Amino acid sequence: MPENTTTNGRGLRIGVCGPVGTGKSSLIALLCRELAADLEIGVVTNDIYTDEDARFLRSAGVLDPARIRAVETGACPHTAIRDDVTANLIAVEELEEEFAPLDVVLVESGGDNLTATFSPALVDTQIFLIDVAGGGDVARKGGPGIERADLLVVNKTDLAPYVGVDPAAMVSDAGSVREGRPVIALSRTDPSSVEALITWVRSELARHRGGSLVPADPGPMAPHFHADGTSHTHDHEAEHVHGHQHA
Amino acid sequence: MSEELLMMLLADARLPVAGHTQSGQLEAAVRSGLAAEQVPVFMRSRLASVVRVEAGTAVVALHRLRAGLPLPTVVDAWAARTPSAPMRDTSRTLGRALLRLVKRLFPDSGHVAEVAALERPCRPLVLAAAAATGGLAPASLGRLVAYDDLQTVASAALKLLPLDPLDTTSWVRDLLPEVERVATEVASLTDPDQIPAPSAPQLDLWAQAHARTTRRLFSA
Repeated sequence: MPENTTTNGRGLRIGVCGPVGTGKSSLIALLCRELAADLEIGVVTNDIYTDEDARFLRSAGVLDPARIRAVETGACPHTAIRDDVTANLIAVEELEEEFAPLDVVLVESGGDNLTATFSPALVDTQIFLIDVAGGGDVARKGGPGIERADLLVVNKTDLAPYVGVDPAAMVSDAGSVREGRPVIALSRTDPSSVEALITWVRSELARHRGGSLVPADPGPMAPHFHADGTSHTHDHEAEHVHGHQHA
Repeated sequence: MSEELLMMLLADARLPVAGHTQSGQLEAAVRSGLAAEQVPVFMRSRLASVVRVEAGTAVVALHRLRAGLPLPTVVDAWAARTPSAPMRDTSRTLGRALLRLVKRLFPDSGHVAEVAALERPCRPLVLAAAAATGGLAPASLGRLVAYDDLQTVASAALKLLPLDPLDTTSWVRDLLPEVERVATEVASLTDPDQIPAPSAPQLDLWAQAHARTTRRLFSA
């Protein structure tokens, strides 16, 4: 069992990941702005090179700068949220000790590719971000974050007319691979989309406090399809025999 | 448990103890002009200085844990020989990271509990607790500390400089006799006063400079 499942009444840990430039820091600034009035929040950032994200958030003035920590990942942003979460966990724990009691700690991954997701040993729930400017086909491409993150956000919908993308089609594409998991088309300039995001965060916090939120792993591997029309994920690797090799 | 297997486990780069966040001051050295071909000299310099302090500290702590002697004088001796505050802070952070793992591996260990009760124990003390619990010999513990340092720098070098991993691994191999020398030198130490006290002001300065920069890949 991941150590994280022993919650001991601590706050909710939310991971935010997704490719570079999709708006992770802005999303976190938005959450701080909307939630800081009634929730105690801390933020851990994982920049690839520099503490740029931490500085952006500090300069945004939405949170006490002391509550924003930058963790260097030694050019291994994927490792730091997945196979060795130690440095991030220590940063989260230090924030929780120093500013106890925190309601929410947001962990921002270093911008990575479509395959990076958080280990359930680090966060309780996670948001995966893509944006309309990354192209209308991104949602169709799938991947563990797009398919199985607790929340998928299709960001910057206000830019859609300028990049020739139909956000509704993107959300529909995403919905078709997510088996009912939530998708939010977000724009900072669209109050109803911001409201939907905040409602989701508050409901995750309520589930966490009520003890019903069990961290789910989006997993590193997308399910794949066999020529005979069956599909499977690798969660049950041991239970059936493979007729082919995996790279 | 086989001592060799425990050594392999503790020396494995895949150990979840935040090793990937460390460069052993190499990043600061590269920033100030250290070239790729100088990395072996850099590694050797660490073995001759900071690594002897860490290895000596670990071995003396191991002896005192086994003998039931108090540890605070070991911590003081280590701190006195580690003048750079960022280096002390890094060792304590890595100690915390390692302690998370060691507590899980040895949940019933009195040695681990004793080190965990210290305020922010440095990494060599946590390693000593694992060694005392797992039955590692003092020389093995010295080898572990020194070998891990070489691999930390070698791995960071691949991120920082245009290098072939076959070259960096060869450099580690070439320095193994030096690792053995450090291990032999510290193996018989039992008293905090005996911990080597070399000085490496350039490493200290790099550690200080790195702690102040806002553009870095590695924590230290």
